[in-house]
Amino acid sequence: MKPRALLWPLAVTLALLVAWEEIVRALRVKTVLLPRPSVIASVLWSQGPLILEHMWPTFYQIVLGFLLSLAGGVLVAVLITYSEIVRKGFYPLIVVSQIVPKVAVAPLFVVWFGLGDLSRLLLAFLIAFFPIVINTAAGLTSVDDDYVRMARAYMGSRRQIFTKIRLPHALPLIFGGMKISITLAVIGVVVAEFVAAQRGIGYLIVMANGLLDTPLMMAAIVALSAMGLALYGLVAALERLVVYWHVPTETPRGGFA
Amino acid sequence: MRDSVVVDGIGKTYASGVEAIREARFSVVPGEFLSLLGPSGCGKSTLLMMIAGLLVPSRGAIRVDDAEVQGPRPDVGIVFQSPVLLPWRTVLDNVLLPVEMLRRRRADYEGRARDLLAMAGVDDFAGKLPHELSGGMKQRVAICRALVHDPALLLMDEPFSALDAMTRDQMGLELLRIWDVQKKTVVFVTHSIREAVFLSDRVLVMTPRPSTIALETEVKLPRPRTMDMQESDEFNRHVGVLRQSIEAGGRP
Repeated sequence: MKPRALLWPLAVTLALLVAWEEIVRALRVKTVLLPRPSVIASVLWSQGPLILEHMWPTFYQIVLGFLLSLAGGVLVAVLITYSEIVRKGFYPLIVVSQIVPKVAVAPLFVVWFGLGDLSRLLLAFLIAFFPIVINTAAGLTSVDDDYVRMARAYMGSRRQIFTKIRLPHALPLIFGGMKISITLAVIGVVVAEFVAAQRGIGYLIVMANGLLDTPLMMAAIVALSAMGLALYGLVAALERLVVYWHVPTETPRGGFA
Repeated sequence: MRDSVVVDGIGKTYASGVEAIREARFSVVPGEFLSLLGPSGCGKSTLLMMIAGLLVPSRGAIRVDDAEVQGPRPDVGIVFQSPVLLPWRTVLDNVLLPVEMLRRRRADYEGRARDLLAMAGVDDFAGKLPHELSGGMKQRVAICRALVHDPALLLMDEPFSALDAMTRDQMGLELLRIWDVQKKTVVFVTHSIREAVFLSDRVLVMTPRPSTIALETEVKLPRPRTMDMQESDEFNRHVGVLRQSIEAGGRP
């Protein structure tokens, strides 16, 4: 976005924050119910070290889960593209399995994989995996026949057709999937932390909730959102770097957790 | 002189049972510019793809340079109806794609690629991406790509049919200019009678499906060809003969 385009949303956000601050002050709403933005900001500052301490495990599990889903998703998409058995037998299963709300299996994962990092990582992976698979598969298989025919006419091997044509062609769609996945990975890790964790932002939110410390809870949510936004921005920046050529806009799919 | 291409009693019936080509039999001498002319869907592109080794004939055999065609060959260049340039590669890298596919050293061909781009008048765009080029320029780049590995045979499947009429005439002239320098055997598929007459040494008329070759005519207009020739009696006599043959649909 151009700086000028950012001006309006920023102005509206500021106005909303001021309105929130003044209305809460004027109506004397209890802090435990809805703290003022200034209170949240001061907690964010004073409890900064605590929030940061809990952000770190959340952060690296999001990143790890995302990278795992990227590697696994691309691999499965390649299998879908090249193996008829996988395409006809497993792909429909993968698609239908998306009806299961993955956050609902979080408690089950704790039973299976314990209270440690593994169950959180796997939930993030499970949620973030699907958009990568379907976007990559769509990208790899949507190559126009003319391109493949042209490559074959110049004696291109299957491997060359994959690396020089199918994969670059799929990159814009893969990045579309990655942008959905990174936000889903955040959901996966935090939900798993709600269920069972001794650290992490999800745990901090549940703990603050138990103490009725609403300002801390909201400060944690703000920090979490900022992290999610930063990670999304990182993927989007990488996309601009990697997908430098002009592509018609395609809507990425598979964005439900 | 031995023939560059021999199409020996070729027939093609698709798995669906549709008979695209009943029988085609002709040969092309080295350095000749031959056009396959016919209405849409007459199987002329199918025939070209079989010469390229991209489709397998149901009957008969095709020989290129005295060897039976079993699949794509390294000494054939091909131009399709659309430019099929890879949007993430620069113009120069697109032209060098066949060299990479054929696992040859890029450095050996980069000079030739630049020369071809200069000959086609698009050397200023060597470092640009395809989306920055017009339709005609993209097709010029596609022609350069087809010639970069110095093939003996150039196959062209309605390469100018997606271009506007004026660009199309211009491209025809430029193709002849390049052909004059590069001295390739060309098999050119088109549904434009005037284009076929203007470019070719010889024109074969194909009938609608299941197709056979209805007419073969030699165009004895002098070379180099000029746009003025399109007004000449000789030119229009050829156009008339070919039109009659196409309208008759292969019936004598």
